[in-house]
Amino acid sequence: MMSLLSVTSPAAPMSVLQNALIVGAILFTLGIVGILARRNLIVMFLSAELMLQGISVSLVAWSRYHGDYGGHVLVIFILAVAACEAAVALVFVLQAFGRTGRLDASAWQSLRESNLSWVVDRELPESDTVPPLWPTLAPAGVLPKADEDEPLQRKHV
Amino acid sequence: MNPLSFFSAADLLSAVGPLSAVGLLLAAAVPAGAASLWLLLPRGRKNRIAGWLGLALGGLSLAGFVATGRRLGGVGEEAVFLTVSLVAVVSAAATILTRSPVYCAIWFALSLAGVAGVLLVLGAQFLGVATIVVYAGAILVMFLFVLMLAQPTGMASYDRVSSEPLLSAVAGAVLLGLLTLAIGRLSAGPASAPTTDAPTDGALASDSLATDQVARLGAELFGRHLVAVEAVGTLLLVALIGAIAVVSRGEATAADADRARQRTAVP
Amino acid sequence: MQQLSPSVLLVLVPALPLVGAVLTMLLGRSLRSRAHLPAVVGIAAAAGVSLVLLAATAAQVGNSSDAHPEPVRPVEMITTLWQWATVEDAYAPPSGSEALIPGIVLPRDTSGVRAFSIPVALRLDPLTATMLSIITCVGLLVAIYSIGYMHGDPGYARFFALFALFVFSMSMLVAASNFLIVYVFWEAVGACSYLLIGFWFRRPEAARAAKKAFLVNRVGDFGLAIAVFLLWMTYGTLDFHDTLSLDGTILPGILGQTRLADAGGIVGGAVGAGICLLLLLAACGKSAQLPLHVWLPDAMEGPTPASALIHAATMVTAGIYLITRSAPLFMACPGALAMVSIVGATTALVAALIAVVQNDLKRVLAYSTISQLGYMFASLGTGTMLGFTAAIFHLVTHAFFKALLFLGAGSVMHSMGGVIDMRRFGGLWRVMPMTAATFLAGACALAGVAPFAGFFSKDEILTSLHSKAFPSVHGNHGPESPAAETAHLHLTSWMHDSSSALHANSTYGLDAIDRPEIWQILFWMSLVTAGLTAFYTFRAVFMTFTGPTRVPEEAGHHAHESPAVMTLPLVILAVLSAVAGWWLFSTHWLSHFLSATPSLTAPSVARTVVPHLFHIDLAIQGTLAAAIGIAVAAIGHLGRRSDSPQMERFLGPLGSLFANKFFFDQIYTGLIVRPLEALALLAAIIDRSVIDRLVDWIATIPIGLGAIVRQLQSGLMQRYALAGVMGVLMIVLALAWQLRG
Repeated sequence: MMSLLSVTSPAAPMSVLQNALIVGAILFTLGIVGILARRNLIVMFLSAELMLQGISVSLVAWSRYHGDYGGHVLVIFILAVAACEAAVALVFVLQAFGRTGRLDASAWQSLRESNLSWVVDRELPESDTVPPLWPTLAPAGVLPKADEDEPLQRKHV
Repeated sequence: MNPLSFFSAADLLSAVGPLSAVGLLLAAAVPAGAASLWLLLPRGRKNRIAGWLGLALGGLSLAGFVATGRRLGGVGEEAVFLTVSLVAVVSAAATILTRSPVYCAIWFALSLAGVAGVLLVLGAQFLGVATIVVYAGAILVMFLFVLMLAQPTGMASYDRVSSEPLLSAVAGAVLLGLLTLAIGRLSAGPASAPTTDAPTDGALASDSLATDQVARLGAELFGRHLVAVEAVGTLLLVALIGAIAVVSRGEATAADADRARQRTAVP
Repeated sequence: MQQLSPSVLLVLVPALPLVGAVLTMLLGRSLRSRAHLPAVVGIAAAAGVSLVLLAATAAQVGNSSDAHPEPVRPVEMITTLWQWATVEDAYAPPSGSEALIPGIVLPRDTSGVRAFSIPVALRLDPLTATMLSIITCVGLLVAIYSIGYMHGDPGYARFFALFALFVFSMSMLVAASNFLIVYVFWEAVGACSYLLIGFWFRRPEAARAAKKAFLVNRVGDFGLAIAVFLLWMTYGTLDFHDTLSLDGTILPGILGQTRLADAGGIVGGAVGAGICLLLLLAACGKSAQLPLHVWLPDAMEGPTPASALIHAATMVTAGIYLITRSAPLFMACPGALAMVSIVGATTALVAALIAVVQNDLKRVLAYSTISQLGYMFASLGTGTMLGFTAAIFHLVTHAFFKALLFLGAGSVMHSMGGVIDMRRFGGLWRVMPMTAATFLAGACALAGVAPFAGFFSKDEILTSLHSKAFPSVHGNHGPESPAAETAHLHLTSWMHDSSSALHANSTYGLDAIDRPEIWQILFWMSLVTAGLTAFYTFRAVFMTFTGPTRVPEEAGHHAHESPAVMTLPLVILAVLSAVAGWWLFSTHWLSHFLSATPSLTAPSVARTVVPHLFHIDLAIQGTLAAAIGIAVAAIGHLGRRSDSPQMERFLGPLGSLFANKFFFDQIYTGLIVRPLEALALLAAIIDRSVIDRLVDWIATIPIGLGAIVRQLQSGLMQRYALAGVMGVLMIVLALAWQLRG
């Protein structure tokens, strides 16, 4: 097995760069799709972080290609800024949740044209809420009666 | 000055050979990727066929990109690189396609692990570890906390539906195709001369094993970019204060609203 | 005064009322109850100046007795203020035999290429001086009367502004020395009349009457416009007077002394008859003759002083003035002259018949005005010097007594609280003796009772008609005197003097009307009209002022004599009605004075001068007719209640014909008004449904486009982000395409 970090690489630096860049591009694009498509605010921010990951990979690849630490430094800054951004953004997400009770990006439509109606993407019945069933303990010494029909645990979080 | 000046005519002509192949691969991979994304994005009721078809097409698309990467030139740490990058990409895809937000966070963690691996393969020791520590250790935990505080009972409707899945998938896939095409056209022209203090191509690779790589990174950081580092530190402080301030004001209004409600509530 | 030249004085006469009008318009609101001051002072000053001008002109004319009836020299003075319009090389008469109007031979003096120039020129001659004096003096008296009559009206200032404006327009009309300037002020007096008739414009009847007056006048104005065009084409100029061109040649005016002295100066034949008939049409419109008389009775909706001035004394006399001024033109077309008389006499009779059954005092006076104007037209149409001067004489006396009668009616209306229906009041001589006395004086003048003014003027008119109807009676001392007979032969030969195109200038078919038989019919019609005039006048007097005293309830406490400011003009006018006629007739001053007017010194007119003789038989006939009329009126109405059985019932079906004004209004409504209304309705429908809908439809296009574009702004941030990403994609695609290519 090749050493993970072999000193010399037979491959041209350019191909390393290009492959790494492709990986970064894929991550970046997936992050964009996540922001555009998902309606949950948390998942949107996760996708934003994904984009930042892709950029980090690209920057490090460029740094490797050029042979200096410039990209590394930028990635460190990105790390710090991402942390700040995540903190502040999540505070706002909580505020938004406090106002509307939902983490839905489509819940905020008041900046639309005055004669347009409320946009509802698709009406879905509220989730099939499964009443929380917690495991119950029978009185000591008695095996609880198991009912196969009743789910013992919630399937969904 | 054309910012893309290193796209010279000579490169174009010389790159026609491999480029046409790349073009064909991308022409197959991009639509497959778009279709798979569209099929897999949450669109209401779960459709088994759509799910399996999406997965198949996704695999196809990935294979296309891998082939593109190979076409452009193999990588020394080929297997390792391929593995970690696949881990990163697949879990990233899972992050955006999973319905439950908590599962999204977990998949994200896995993606972080993959990204850290890629960074390590590329010779960035400190950054690989820092990614894990900061992202997975701090940011991700913060996300999970918020999820805990703000989750609805059961599966929310907005988690099961995407907004504009088709357009987003197509836009993303086309963007990826263009980026890949541009990446494929990169050439070692005179504009890509390495910096003065950088050794030849294998230098950083040899640096990877150096015990003082982190020290060198630190020297670079606190040497050339000292002001920026201090600024970032200030930024962190400001963000901290800002977050607290917003939270406390929000609490105040919420408390007022609660008290108002209690006053008017019928006993 | 002697230092001021006559031309300055002449300009002052219209200028002073204009200044008064402008000042009233500007300061009216602030002057409030004294808003009459600028206008009255202006008109008073103008009256004084016009009397001075009259005296000056009379001094120029001099005196000549009947013993030596030498031809009178024309007296005129022209003042050119400025050149209004000039177009170089506008008129080039055809050379050789090719005429501008086929078949017409142009007078010899139209040669060379001429410029079209309209000078704002004023003229002073006996006719103008007379008219100016009448306009300003009667205007002053009516203005003083209006101070009392319009007291308390919210439009007090507006009334006086319009009044002064009217006096200005009328003065300019009679003083202008150019046909186009006359046309301008012809329209101006029509506009002032419209504004004054519709003075209380919030009353729908008043607004309707004003519109009717203006539109009917417009028909006449159309005739005047075409006549002006024809005059320009025929004569190459529109000036009355001769003008001096730059190279020293004289450009003869239409009625200038150069042309009138020339034997071939005036064009006759078809063109001449056309011009004269069109001028007659214009005069009919302005002077309310058949068939354009329908506006004058409705014009009584205006304030009574306006009716007194405009529709009795001044504006309606503009037609008489025009025809008198154009006398030489008419003398070249005997048929047109006969038409003038026919129109006049017929109108006189018809209007008198309608007046017989009217119950509204002002309507009686309105139809009486139409009738008297018909008399003047009949007199003008005789084409004799006596006829012309008799018409102007009657114009002067009519101004006095008709204004008096209208002001008296206004006084009655004022104290009866706005009621003017004679059946609702009676026996008012006890309530308002001064008004009754002056009204009686005016009525006597109107009826032609000697020695009041109307008697003499009417007598002269009848004499002129008689001289045309029975020429042999006047043969010994008529136009057929030896000297005059040769002159008459010269006249006819002069008319036939044309080098070529003989037929064009020969007696036209219309001239066949000029026959003694027609004149006889006209004479008898006039006599009958005189009787009817006396009848309806005294019917009105008896109904209003005699019988048991009845006052309608609208009068309230107003049933008393009018204040002095209103009765003083009545008294002055009554005195004038009484003595002016006798004095003017006995001295024969007016006819001699007027014969010095350039238009009337034309040989065609001057040849018809006759020594003045008082035809006692005609005077007896006239007086007899008047006496019969007064007697019948007395039988029917003296001392009776004014609402006793009325004339319409007495006359039966004829009565309803008269009461319906011979159905003129109904015919006009059906033939003209209704089709035009239908057309207007059609146009309105098209405007509403087609044009407005089209515009509205076009307006919906941007709205629709906007509605489509507006959908982009949905408020959903993910859609905005998607739009951003697609934008980025397009940019990248464009770049990639460029690089690929």
